[in-house]
This record gives sequence, C-alpha cells and structure tokens, in this order.
Amino acid sequence: MSEIYDIGYRHYDGPRLGRGYSTRALTVHSLRGVFGLGRTARSKIMPFALGVIMLLPAVVSIAMMALIKQHGMSYSSFAVSMQTVLAIFLASQSPTVVAPDLRYRVLPLYLSRPVAIAEYVTAKVIAMTVALFLLIALPMTLIYVGELLIDLEGPPQTKEYLGALAMALVLALLLSSFGLAIASLTPRRGLGVASIIAVYLLASASVPVIYGTLQSAGNTSGALWAWLVNPFWLVDAVQVWLFDTTPNALDGSGYPPGPAPAIIVVVLIAIGLAALAARYRKAAAQ
Amino acid sequence: MNTVVAGITYRALLGRRRIVLLLLLPLALIALAIMLRLFGGNDPHSAELLMDNFAIAVMLPLLGLIAGTGVIAPEIDDGTIIHLMSKPISRPVIAQTKFLVAASLMAVFAAVPTYFSAWLLVGNEDGLAAGFALGALVAGFAYVAVFLLLGTITRHAVTIGIIYALLWETVVGTVVPGAQKFSIQQWAKSIAVQISDNPFLDTNVTLGFAVPALIIVTLGAVLWAGQRLRVFALTGDE
Repeated sequence: MSEIYDIGYRHYDGPRLGRGYSTRALTVHSLRGVFGLGRTARSKIMPFALGVIMLLPAVVSIAMMALIKQHGMSYSSFAVSMQTVLAIFLASQSPTVVAPDLRYRVLPLYLSRPVAIAEYVTAKVIAMTVALFLLIALPMTLIYVGELLIDLEGPPQTKEYLGALAMALVLALLLSSFGLAIASLTPRRGLGVASIIAVYLLASASVPVIYGTLQSAGNTSGALWAWLVNPFWLVDAVQVWLFDTTPNALDGSGYPPGPAPAIIVVVLIAIGLAALAARYRKAAAQ
Repeated sequence: MNTVVAGITYRALLGRRRIVLLLLLPLALIALAIMLRLFGGNDPHSAELLMDNFAIAVMLPLLGLIAGTGVIAPEIDDGTIIHLMSKPISRPVIAQTKFLVAASLMAVFAAVPTYFSAWLLVGNEDGLAAGFALGALVAGFAYVAVFLLLGTITRHAVTIGIIYALLWETVVGTVVPGAQKFSIQQWAKSIAVQISDNPFLDTNVTLGFAVPALIIVTLGAVLWAGQRLRVFALTGDE
C-alpha cells in the first residue's frame, strides 16, 4: 500500500516583486554583461580597452585647453569623429547581450517568469543603449568638467554639451536597436560581430562613393542625402536641425534641411525594435 | 590537402548564413560600380576611388575575416573540432586544407568581383581591373592566412581581426605613415600600382618589400596555425 509522505516542500509566501523588478534585474544583468562585469577577465579586456580609447580624445582636449587655451574637439563632433571605435564596440559587444541566451536555448526559462518578450527585448535594448551612451557621455562630461575648471575665455558651451548628450542618447538607441536586431539573427558570436561591422562598413564606405557620384553628376542637393546612409552622420544631421550646430560631414558639406533626418531616425528605431521583437517571438516559439 | 576535410569546410561555410555575408559585400561593390556607371562616373579617377576605398579597404579585409575565421573558429567554438583532430590526419594538413578552402573562396568572392566591377567602369584601360584583381587575390590569401591563425589562437578572433583591419590599417595607417608598411592593404595596392598605370593610383610601399612580406606572412601564418593545432588543448584554455 502506497503512502504519500510529507517531505517538507513549502510554499513561498514572501513578497512577490513582480514584472518591473525582474525587468530591471535583467537590464542590470545585461548591462554588466556588456562590460564583462561578473564574467571572466578575458571578456573585460575588449570593452574596457575600447572605453579607454574613447577617453583619449578627452584627455587630449583637456590638455589643449589647459596648455594652449584652445578648445579641442567640439562636443557636437565627438560621436562622429569616434565612430569607428563606437562601431567596433557595438559589433563586439551586442552579440554578448543576445547570443548566449539564444545559443543555450534558455529563453523559455526567462519567459516562464513574469518577463514577457516585450520586457525581455526592452531590457536588452536599454542595457545596450545605456552602455553606448556611457561610452559617449563619459568623455564628453570629462571635457565639460575640464572646461569649467580651466575657465577659458567666453561662456562655457553648456548648450552644445547638453545637446550633444541628448543626441548621444538618440544615437545609442538607434545603434543598439539595429545592432541587437542583427546580432539576434545568429546564435554564433563571431558571425554576429562580423555581420554588424559589415553592415556598418557597407553604410559608411558607400557614402563617399554615392556622394561623389551624385556630386559629379551635378545633383548637388541630392548628393546631400547620401550622408544620411551612415547612422552617425544621420544623427549628426538631426543635431544640426535641432541645435543648429556645425555639420560634421566631410568636405564641409551640409545635410538636407528640415526635419527629414529626424523622421528617418524615428522610423529606423521603430524598424529595429520591431525586427527584434519579431525575431524573439519566433525564437521563443522554437 | 585532405579532400574530406575540404568538403566539410566548404559545406560549413557555404551551407549556412555565412554565405549571405560572403555574397553581400561583393554584390554591394558591383551595385556601386553599376550606379557609378549609370551616373556617368566611369572615368579612371572614380574607378580608382571605388577600388581603393571600397574594394581594397573595406570588402577585402571583411571577406578575409569572414572566410578566414569562418573555416575554423566556429568548430573550435562549439567543440566539434575534436572530431576532426581525433582522426589520423596530420594537424598541419588540416590547417593547410582549411587555408586552401578559404583562399579559394577569396578568389571567387573577392578577386572576381573586384575585376568585374573595375571592368564595368573602365574596361581594360590602364590595366586597373587586372592590377586590383591580382592585388585583391594575393592580399586575400594573406588575410585568410592571418585570420585563420587568429582563429586558432583566440576566441575573440573576429573582434581582434576587425580592430586590426579597421583601426590599424585605416586610422593608424593614415596617422603614422610608417605603420602603412605593415598593412596587407598597402601591399595589395603596391601590386596594383605595378600592373596598372592609372595616374591616380599611388602607394608608398615598394614592390620589393610587399611581395616578400606577403609571402612570409601567408606561409608563416599557415605554418604557425598548423603548429597551434598540433599543440591544441582539447579541453580549452579557459
């Protein structure tokens, strides 16, 4: 005769922290993962090395302000001139945010908690956005603090600094939504890195060719649109429209006037996020 | 050269999503060439710009990276290299076979599209198409050899490869002129200069340096990769 033993399993009757808490926890966990915190020393090398490279222009700028009393790199041009480093950071780190979960098929474990696909994707995008934003904002803030302390002639460029910070956030959101969407297509880290950098290079290297061709064909106003193919110049165009800064395109060329670049940015972010959500809906069903 | 290993490697590279990337770059090059031609940019100068800025500076290192790491890194990454290495095949031969596979892919996906897009723009004028195609071919071999070696050394081969191809070859190369001597791209250009007499083309690495450098780098990297496989720890080093 069988008997049911009470082996002491207990119900959990403590507080339930809920959806918001788990999403926040996932965000913080992913953000730490981007910088390799809580992982092996090897995975810290790449993000921190790139972070140090991002700080170099800030050091040079501060030195220039202190020694020869001149402004170094302007705030509005910071992200554009450091675009190669930012693209490498995006390429090397976005797969670490999304690939392991896909590769080891742990997505059902997340989704069996109060985290739904929307929250999972939001957490990952926020983590990558914050990481990229920190990478741009930290050196800029250093330069700004340096500018305040050194006390150059004329008022501090607070408006340009704040504008550049806001645009850094937009740029980070645009880059991370696209970077994560591309990275989530493959569970392989190496392939993800290569795909993101290939897309960035295709965009950035075709700009001068398209621009030069349209220019030589006499289509000067059409040629300006070529700059918008590169995400960094696209966001710079929005900055020019919103904050009236000097354009950072090569050859001293401007951008198409009006709100068109801003609309393109919003549409692109929406496309990136939608692609990411669609990809995860499919991955979760597997 | 082991045909079975070669067959497996071809299937792994061409049967998966990697082929999308391998196709994307040459197709973009040809699309740009067609666009230039339609907008009347088919003069020697813009042809040289397209070859220099896109074919040699962007497409070649990226394809080399994808093909060179693609033949070995995924297998090391997911551990299936064990099945290959536990067979009675000399490990240097495995490395050489994988190099040959990657090199043949470079010929198809890099050198041929380079020739075709230059030919689209200027035909066979000044030998520009032939020069850049040969440069792309030889430099492609060097790239895949180096990236194959990187794939056997580190798990971050792709990222390190990108930093070499982007930061070293473009940024450092333009700021510190001496660094250009140690850039595979510049060696490719120096071969192109030798064959083509396009007036806009110019390089600061001599052929006498570029050719031995290409040979030493390619052979050295393949041999070293074989050596790395010989002493490869199956348990991984982490």
